[in-house]
Amino acid sequence: MSIESFGNWLYETPLSTTIRDITWIIPAVQSIHLLAIAIVVGSALVSDLRLAGVLATDESPARVVRRYLPWMWAALIVLLLTGIVMLVAEPGRTLGNTVFWTKMGLVLFAFALTLFFRKPLLDPAFGLEHAGWRQAVKPAAWISLIVWVAVIFCGRWIAYT
Amino acid sequence: MSLEPLFQKLYDSPLAAAIRENTSYFPWIESLHVLAITLVFGTICIVDLRLLGFQSHRRGARQLIVELLPFTWVAFAGAIVTGGLLFISNAVAYSNNAQFQWKMIAILAAGLNMAVFHLTAYRRIVAWDDALPPPLAARLSGAFSLLLWITVIVFGRLIGFTLSVF
Repeated sequence: MSIESFGNWLYETPLSTTIRDITWIIPAVQSIHLLAIAIVVGSALVSDLRLAGVLATDESPARVVRRYLPWMWAALIVLLLTGIVMLVAEPGRTLGNTVFWTKMGLVLFAFALTLFFRKPLLDPAFGLEHAGWRQAVKPAAWISLIVWVAVIFCGRWIAYT
Repeated sequence: MSLEPLFQKLYDSPLAAAIRENTSYFPWIESLHVLAITLVFGTICIVDLRLLGFQSHRRGARQLIVELLPFTWVAFAGAIVTGGLLFISNAVAYSNNAQFQWKMIAILAAGLNMAVFHLTAYRRIVAWDDALPPPLAARLSGAFSLLLWITVIVFGRLIGFTLSVF
């Protein structure tokens, strides 16, 4: 089955039809999606700027990451769930769309960066100054910020391509 | 006095025509608008949650506010500029759109709420800087701010579903 015929099949399912027929669902889900991406951006901004050595440098990176990482995970789960609702409702808008798949690739990359460079900091026994990859923390923080911005741009462009 | 002639003038301006006629200007400006909104809401959310009593990366509320507010203001200025460009491209239609009008009222209310906070609870912040939970006045400001900005974002999204361009 090609991805296109899968999209057509999905579009005809009762679930997909129901989401489209109840007209307030899509605007509501899109609003929640937008609020959740704002949580990710706010959390990423503060923790990445800390890891880049720009903001709140008198607080330890671990303290900053500990405060924002749980919010990022929660917001990412909300983004995934609301994203799935939009995809099920309008598969034609996403499945064959290069911008959508670019966005998914970028999200996965940003997720991997977050997991690799922040999760270790949650462990109180972990010392960043002894980690072999400490030189990579600053560039990775800037890349992470740029990738999240690119994700937002791709998200808006899905509607136009 | 009606503002309609002014909006018509804005609509007729060369800049507005360029945004309407070039197929990629609108999405680019819209993307920047979304980016600005996420920065405004993302940073303001951190401050509002602190006002509600959620511990932040700073111990004191004042330091957190002083540290994050510049980001909020720059992003808000960006949202005004990009939003203004989107508005003039279809000024008359936007000005007549109920969701757009409610969005503007919600932004005004959010601004008013912030002004009240800065003139009242913020003046006494030395007394409650480290206190968790913060005093009721600060918690109310945080709660209103969150609710109002969520309203702004929801109405903003609804404009896209209700605007009649013709």
